[in-house]
Amino acid sequence: MIDRYAPLRYALLAGAMTLPLSLSAVAQEAGGEGEQQAQQEQQQQRQEMISRMQEMTQADGYLEAHRGVETPLHRLGGPLNVTITQDGGGVFVALPGRRELDPHVFGTPDMPRAFAGTPVITGVPPAMRGTEGGAYTELTEPSPFGDAFMTMGSASLTIEATDMTAADAATTEDSVDFEASWQDEEGNTYAVTCCKQLATHGLEYPTFGGVVTNHLLHGFSGVGTPLMPTEYAYLAFWGIGDVMKNDEVVDENRLVHGMLTEYVRTEGYELALDSEVNPQGRHFHLMVAPMQPVPEEGLFRPQPVNTGFTLPNGEPLPFWHVMFESLEVESTQGEG
Amino acid sequence: MAIATKRPATGRRPATDRSRRPAPRLPVLAAAAIALAAALPALAQEQQQQAEEPAAVVEMTDLLAFEPETVTVTAGETVEWRNVSEVRHTVTADPAEAAYSGSAHLPEGAEPFDSGFVEPGDSWQHTFEVPGTYDYFCIPHEATGMRGTVVVEEAQ
Repeated sequence: MIDRYAPLRYALLAGAMTLPLSLSAVAQEAGGEGEQQAQQEQQQQRQEMISRMQEMTQADGYLEAHRGVETPLHRLGGPLNVTITQDGGGVFVALPGRRELDPHVFGTPDMPRAFAGTPVITGVPPAMRGTEGGAYTELTEPSPFGDAFMTMGSASLTIEATDMTAADAATTEDSVDFEASWQDEEGNTYAVTCCKQLATHGLEYPTFGGVVTNHLLHGFSGVGTPLMPTEYAYLAFWGIGDVMKNDEVVDENRLVHGMLTEYVRTEGYELALDSEVNPQGRHFHLMVAPMQPVPEEGLFRPQPVNTGFTLPNGEPLPFWHVMFESLEVESTQGEG
Repeated sequence: MAIATKRPATGRRPATDRSRRPAPRLPVLAAAAIALAAALPALAQEQQQQAEEPAAVVEMTDLLAFEPETVTVTAGETVEWRNVSEVRHTVTADPAEAAYSGSAHLPEGAEPFDSGFVEPGDSWQHTFEVPGTYDYFCIPHEATGMRGTVVVEEAQ
């Protein structure tokens, strides 16, 4: 008998159920007044550290030059239309977990890299990195970008996307029609749809009009979380969509990110380091992060996703990070 | 020689061929007749094979493993792979399909084989005629270490 929840139990045992980005949550009740005050001070220090990291976001200048462009230029070669489907089979659902920190991406404690921006979404502050022997070890807190996972069945995925607009702008000619669903063991159906609106320009990192094709993302690229390895994305998009359970919307207007990339999981489905990426495989990642963009401030704030899925310990799963791996992919270039 | 068995009425598309091509435009009746004629002997053979108990059973799991990882059979015997997971897997002993050099290995004289996608709940069989060691893998999960071995001994 296969224990489907074994990886999940491992994650729970590892104390993985508290998201690092619930950092603005009120301090837990403490046994004594002194302890409570110490916790509050620690919380305040942490919030100051986060603000400082967000102020250091490297892409701010680039984004400033692009976000007001009303008539953006097109990508070379004209529009690229991509269709991706999965009919049946299952999905891999990421659970809150930890992962090893890649020195190629994060540097060393003496020379850290990839720390600026909202923690976990764009950078990883040194304070969240374990160290040993002059090297980083792993993220000290669980995140959506860890090694823990479970599987669910009866999956369906349909994406029809067009990449036309080249760079970030105020408007876009890119488009995405996205629908994905899967079922838990009890027969509940979870779904995500997108995109009512595309992220025509990014916050903290570029989004290329909302859709980008044939581009490096994550890792050292500076586009998206460095906790995912550097990976070639055949297609990626960012937009606003809805989260559903059993055909009812349970969370709406969430930032949805999807990407078809080279294969970035290794033995035991652990996230790859850059040197372990498999360029000959492909899978699709869906991400509804526990963060919401705050455009007027140019950053992200924590906001758990109401997924409707409850983990065996009774805690809600506060994000969807779902991988589809038996795909049909088609693409056409030029005006159709 | 390989056969696939499926659980009843799952509603899922059997994915035995990952490189699907458009259907040929044959007249419907002629195509049906050809298909029927071709299917009858194959069906009889499949029923005969299904009646045989496999010499070994390997489960394909949600933890991305073939369990047991290694099985030993005698030449002429059949191994059955059962997908007990929620996701699709393949049973592939074809070096041409492998991203890593060590994933697939065949004894001299043995033909490569590939199950195509085995749906959750379905199973697939292969009969081994050539003695030797067969290293195989799951195409979607090769990178995650989903590999197995079949050792085929000479028949007495």
